[in-house]
Amino acid sequence: MAKVVLTSLKTKNFSDDDIDKAVERAIDRLDFNFRDDLQNVVIKPNLCYYWDYSTGETTDPRVVSAVIDYVRDKVGNDVNIAVAEADASAMKTKYSFRVLGYDKLCQAKNVKLENLSEGNIVDVKVNVSGKEIVLPINEILLNADLIINVPKLKTHNFIGATCALKNMFGAISKPRKYSYHEMISHVIVGVNKIVRSHITIVDGLIVRGSYPKKLGVVMAGDDPLATDFIAVEIMGFNPKGVPYLNLAAREQIGQTRNVELIEDNVKLSEVKKDFPKYNYFMHKISLDLQLKMLRLYGAVVGDVIPPFLEK
Amino acid sequence: MLKVGVIGLGNMGKLHLLNALRIKEINVVAVADKSEKNRKSVEKYHIKTYDDYSKLIDAEKLDAVIISLPNFLKKESVVYAAENKLDIFLDKPLARNFPEAQEIVQEVEKENVRLMVGVNYRYFPSVQKLKNNLDDGRIGDAVIATSELILNGPLSHSVVPTPVPEWWLNKEMAGGGVLLDLGYHLIDILSWMFGDLEVAYSNLGYRLNLSVEDAGTVMLESKNHGTRCIVNVGWFSKSIFPDFNFRINIHGTVGYDSTDRYAPRDLRVHAVKEGTLNFFRRILKRKMHYLSYTYYYSSFYQVLELFFDTLNKGAEPPISLEEQLDVIRIIDFVYRQNGVK
Repeated sequence: MAKVVLTSLKTKNFSDDDIDKAVERAIDRLDFNFRDDLQNVVIKPNLCYYWDYSTGETTDPRVVSAVIDYVRDKVGNDVNIAVAEADASAMKTKYSFRVLGYDKLCQAKNVKLENLSEGNIVDVKVNVSGKEIVLPINEILLNADLIINVPKLKTHNFIGATCALKNMFGAISKPRKYSYHEMISHVIVGVNKIVRSHITIVDGLIVRGSYPKKLGVVMAGDDPLATDFIAVEIMGFNPKGVPYLNLAAREQIGQTRNVELIEDNVKLSEVKKDFPKYNYFMHKISLDLQLKMLRLYGAVVGDVIPPFLEK
Repeated sequence: MLKVGVIGLGNMGKLHLLNALRIKEINVVAVADKSEKNRKSVEKYHIKTYDDYSKLIDAEKLDAVIISLPNFLKKESVVYAAENKLDIFLDKPLARNFPEAQEIVQEVEKENVRLMVGVNYRYFPSVQKLKNNLDDGRIGDAVIATSELILNGPLSHSVVPTPVPEWWLNKEMAGGGVLLDLGYHLIDILSWMFGDLEVAYSNLGYRLNLSVEDAGTVMLESKNHGTRCIVNVGWFSKSIFPDFNFRINIHGTVGYDSTDRYAPRDLRVHAVKEGTLNFFRRILKRKMHYLSYTYYYSSFYQVLELFFDTLNKGAEPPISLEEQLDVIRIIDFVYRQNGVK
């Protein structure tokens, strides 16, 4: 049976101590078995861009800090911990690590910062729903004893909702992941078939729906698909209506039915009610329509379209 | 008809090219950019392309160039164009620092060519209206002026995500951070409105841990008018087009006025209105108001058109080099005051 824990900080002014305690409580209640022989642990936050944690777009480094402390406490100080992220279409980790405070964090905690777009990268074949995909994956992930996925709880302009499974899409070594967007559901499921997150710690401190909001929630799960099903429910989506989750369920990369939800000190319904709902379909239609109308206007009237608005 | 070349085809260079192609009194004959991808992107306009600006200047008989290159390439390109007796439209900032700006001005004066820095913010309709009200005495004597421009700077991305050009975040190549990028516009406007500014206080912020500043507050005093001006700039905000966090507020002895009073409240509604008007202008063969649907970007067209208009008339550009030199002097002072090397 998969387990998902939902816990609240019960405050809007999150101190480091509040965050440490919430993360600790969430993992404790998950009752995850940290093997004593763990040597290489990789933590994958969501650093999709340069917008800092206060925007609700990227993982709060304080959550990662709490996870590092927890792992050391359980496994010992000798365990090798790396915080890892790959370059993206519009983001280079050499800047995002600095801009988002991960340089400082990792220096202070004496853990490695790894750019998954550099080093030993292996092309891995994976079959998703009869389609064969080849994805470049860093050996750091393939050789890890434990992968801790630390995604954000947030909506997404392109795919509606993003949490654990989508965060691993960011771990693909190829920087220009924009090129995968035509087959994004298959690629998300594919990367999660290759690299399984053993634990997911969801940063729901500041979430991003139709606007950023201090929700003050931490989730922990031992199954990324089960965790995502709860996460997207909080965001107001029907999990089966999210194409990549539907595909992931069909490909049986995790549990969707046999799930125990542990509501630690807060009810799922309360968190769901508090989440700033976001009408993804209206947003997508509206943005696509605006860009199409702009191009039509430019062609008919002969006006200039600023290059940064060109697709 | 003036023969013009465009140097640099990044986002700004492409925008200048698109605008220049719509200015009737000029003929854009060629463009130059090191990037093959950028050169290919303008093939549809059937203009000659060069992979080096010196080749463009050597091969074509030009009257003027539009230079839209990264800051570290400005001096050498301006000097080369000036030595070839070309008039120059240059993206802001004039240079990376005051000594470099002085060298540029000396070279331009020595070669007796005209150079205008495209400080387009002066041409926002809301700024023009505020300046007119100030000049007409409707605000009275300006005692306090505050200005704000908080965006996400080089960290923004367009519809198709592209990585941040590295030079933006390199102190040596860029010359500075948000103060040189956005502060340049605000200091230029305040200087234009109140003249002879001196730095009374300044502070720079580094929230993003970059090698250049991402926030800045500068207090300036006008020797002529006694106006105290405050400049607040930042790169730290996740604002995405069409959001535009810009304003100038003036508190005078008669009353208060602000650019916020004249800028459209809803830029989408404004876009529909202006787009419709332009549609009818096209049908009725009236003068088009290019980019007016974006409100702020129309200033890029206006400032470029103004430059070529003055060249055609044999007049001096309306934005003087002395003013631009003064903006760089102020910025240089702030950097030194804050121990930036």
